[in-house]
Amino acid sequence: MNREKSLVERALIEAVDEGLLMLGESGREVVYFRLRFSYAIGKEDVPSHPEIFDECLRSIFGSGAKAIEKAIIKNLYKKLGLKFVEKENFDFLEYLNYAKRQSGN
Amino acid sequence: MQKVYVLSALVIIGLALFYIFQGCYPDLMYLFSNAFPPLISGMAVIVSGLSLERYWRKAKGPFSKTWLYFTAGLFFWFLGEAVWAGYTLILGVEVPYPSIADIFWLAGYIPFFVALYLYVKIFGGALTRKTLVASMMATIVMTVIVTVVLLAPLLTAGEDPVTLVADFAYPLFDLALFSVAHLGLIIFWKGKLAKSWLFINAAIAMDTCADIIFSYATAQNAYYCGHMLELLYHFSYLFFMLAFYLHTKEL
Repeated sequence: MNREKSLVERALIEAVDEGLLMLGESGREVVYFRLRFSYAIGKEDVPSHPEIFDECLRSIFGSGAKAIEKAIIKNLYKKLGLKFVEKENFDFLEYLNYAKRQSGN
Repeated sequence: MQKVYVLSALVIIGLALFYIFQGCYPDLMYLFSNAFPPLISGMAVIVSGLSLERYWRKAKGPFSKTWLYFTAGLFFWFLGEAVWAGYTLILGVEVPYPSIADIFWLAGYIPFFVALYLYVKIFGGALTRKTLVASMMATIVMTVIVTVVLLAPLLTAGEDPVTLVADFAYPLFDLALFSVAHLGLIIFWKGKLAKSWLFINAAIAMDTCADIIFSYATAQNAYYCGHMLELLYHFSYLFFMLAFYLHTKEL
């Protein structure tokens, strides 16, 4: 169980890293910078504080954060071998919890 | 960042005062009216180029491509301004419209539109179908209004077909930019990037108003170098610079 959980966490860290690249490397660094200095968490803490990561993205991109989060979740699901089915109202945390549950089984 | 706003406000006030009191220095005004646009548009290219350098990761990345197109669009507009200045200050043509300068100006709309489209497309998933439909309706209504407002005065002015096409092309191309730019503002409204998108929209709005007035004024032979409408063009470049500067500060 713990080994699987850490697998999801690692996959999420990678998915975040790759997903944020849509902003370019400097854009990604700015997001990590804000996470560190405004919310006191590093990129490796995103799996344990996804709600803070969500808030950070929304503070920068407004509702545009959804697009980045969707890219991250799609990437995460691909890494975990899960099928991504889009819901009408995309919610980053819900998708993440679903991935955790599915990988924990 | 406050310093940038104060500096911009001072530039706006300074330009407005300079245009208001132009009767006191008509020769200087003529020179300024033609020499200042290449300067301010060149500065906009530099600011956009610095943003491009910052965001450049690789040519195929959508975000870096966006800034390449923004810079290309502004560079074409700079060429348009430079050619206009060449006509007026070197060749002595009073109002070179339409001219080769218009080819550069109109060409600049293409990369600029692509830039806005690519940027908004990256985050487009955040827009609801309802928002997109409302936005499309608003764009159609605005296009109809602008066309109707310009139609009678331009058609009765007896201009040649090329001038007529240019008269309509500028405001309609502006509206095409606006139709995408306002979506960016909607997407980023609650985020830190909203300020940057607010200035992009303000710049395009200024351009739209300026182009409508320019088309009308030239058709009525009422345009001259130093016309107050030029302020809108200057403010537009200033707002683009502010938008790109703020973007690099926030992201």
